[in-house]
Amino acid sequence: MEAFYFGPSESYLFGVFHPREGVNRNEAVLLCNPFGQEYLRAHKSIRRLAINLAKLGYPVLRFDYRGTGDSAGDLSGVSAEHWVEDIGHAIQELMDMAAVTRVALIGLRLGALLAAKASQKDDRISRLVMWDPIISGAGYVDGIRSVITGAESSGSRSRLQTPDGTLHFNGFCLPPLFQETISSWGLDDIAPTKSVPIAQIVSHESDTFAHLRTSLSDSPGFYYELAPAPHDWNYVDHVGGILWPKPVVDAIERYFAQAPNL
Amino acid sequence: MRERVVTVGDQLPLVGVLCEPNSDQMSDSKTAVILLNSGVIHRVGSCRLSVIVARALAERAGMTSFRFDFSGIGDSEARRGTLTANQSAVDEVQEVMDYLENWRQFDRFILYGLCSGAFAAYRTALADRRVIGTVQLDGYCYTTWKSQMMHYSPRLLSLTRWGGFFLRKLGLRKVKKGAEVSGIDDQFFEVPDFANYPPKEEVVKGLQMLNDRRLNMLYVFLGNEHYKYRKQFQECFNSVAFGNNLHVIHRPQASHILSEPVDREVISQEIATWVYQTALSTNAALPRTNRRHNHVP
Repeated sequence: MEAFYFGPSESYLFGVFHPREGVNRNEAVLLCNPFGQEYLRAHKSIRRLAINLAKLGYPVLRFDYRGTGDSAGDLSGVSAEHWVEDIGHAIQELMDMAAVTRVALIGLRLGALLAAKASQKDDRISRLVMWDPIISGAGYVDGIRSVITGAESSGSRSRLQTPDGTLHFNGFCLPPLFQETISSWGLDDIAPTKSVPIAQIVSHESDTFAHLRTSLSDSPGFYYELAPAPHDWNYVDHVGGILWPKPVVDAIERYFAQAPNL
Repeated sequence: MRERVVTVGDQLPLVGVLCEPNSDQMSDSKTAVILLNSGVIHRVGSCRLSVIVARALAERAGMTSFRFDFSGIGDSEARRGTLTANQSAVDEVQEVMDYLENWRQFDRFILYGLCSGAFAAYRTALADRRVIGTVQLDGYCYTTWKSQMMHYSPRLLSLTRWGGFFLRKLGLRKVKKGAEVSGIDDQFFEVPDFANYPPKEEVVKGLQMLNDRRLNMLYVFLGNEHYKYRKQFQECFNSVAFGNNLHVIHRPQASHILSEPVDREVISQEIATWVYQTALSTNAALPRTNRRHNHVP
């Protein structure tokens, strides 16, 4: 693996490239992180997925959006559009490094919605894999608001910060501009318009997942798998444990192992 | 400020990020701060605290830092061997110090860590005299009679607590552990392999040794149920004659993971100021020929 910085100097991005091993596939994979505490707790799973996909012959890049992880800046003034731009930079970097013409996107939670948005107008993208996807940006923001409100009585210091509207949730800030942009996006609108194969791989069942599955079921190449595994990425214990939902990671690997070489 | 990825070691390297001030803002070209992992969270730190601290050190204190992952954590591959995580942590910090010394001529180091990172900073300081300071967030400390009084008194007066106590004694209420609390089966949840807290006598001896060496120590205690008042550290270790080499901050309203932005901002500012002053005073104490230019950013 090779870790490095790339992208524009004013908003440089941290990335880790995993070169392909064995089979020489003409398709690379870009991994799109979830947000906040979920990102922190998913690092191991995302890394392990990258390593295992590289062993299947896929060059893989994982990276941190601007204002997150080791990338530049913080989230002040950052919008969801900026993160979609970052995905675009990462796609180009990956294509250059791996010398491929097509890139598959895998997104976890909010990363799935961002990946879908990025793929809307980008013909470099070969397939879209949505892992426990956030279906609706507005629903996601509302969900965070209600968790914060619900936890107030138990002494949580996560709060709705009123002066500028920033949400402070589980140690991370979601600024107003980000909330505003993400709230207008939904997979119901974006995903069915895609002509590339879509996979929906989930760790549990829910009404929203079922609804999305139904709306995508007629799409060419649609794949669905339920791989039961824990999925509370926001669970924070007192010793800093992290989630390791191996069954769903394995399911994504199986999907790529069976995919035809482009 | 400028950041670059650096890998340490040829086989199964340790992956980290060097964060440097602009050359005209460099306060001390001989001292580097090394930021250590907390538990199994990768090098960005709990709620991204290590990144915030690293950038504050560069921009406010003119100090270089290196945040990296121990082997088997974050982006650093696991290394084979028979050492425990505690033993290998000290070895790996020393490996990083050797690397930075050879590459950039840093020969003095300040180690920073939260929780298990603080424990590793303490143990490495005991093992290596190049360490001139430690910044320990929720490092080793033990209860005192006063902290126990503060902890138990409200409980003794609480009917709810007594009710719970009797229900547990009668077997009518179970104490939840592990997966019963999280709802997550152990096989799907990775927790740090912490060693047990060492006996207090051992830490007293270690602190005595470090104090004799005049190691600079910044302890930050956050809101946790065992650290109850500001002077608890000094009273816990009252047999060690600390001088002005010890500075203790108690921020009881902050959570152990520094989940609030205001707490992260205040703590990172305090750390940057302390590190700057520590580097400055260490430099001033050296013979004039060994001093390096210091610039207040």
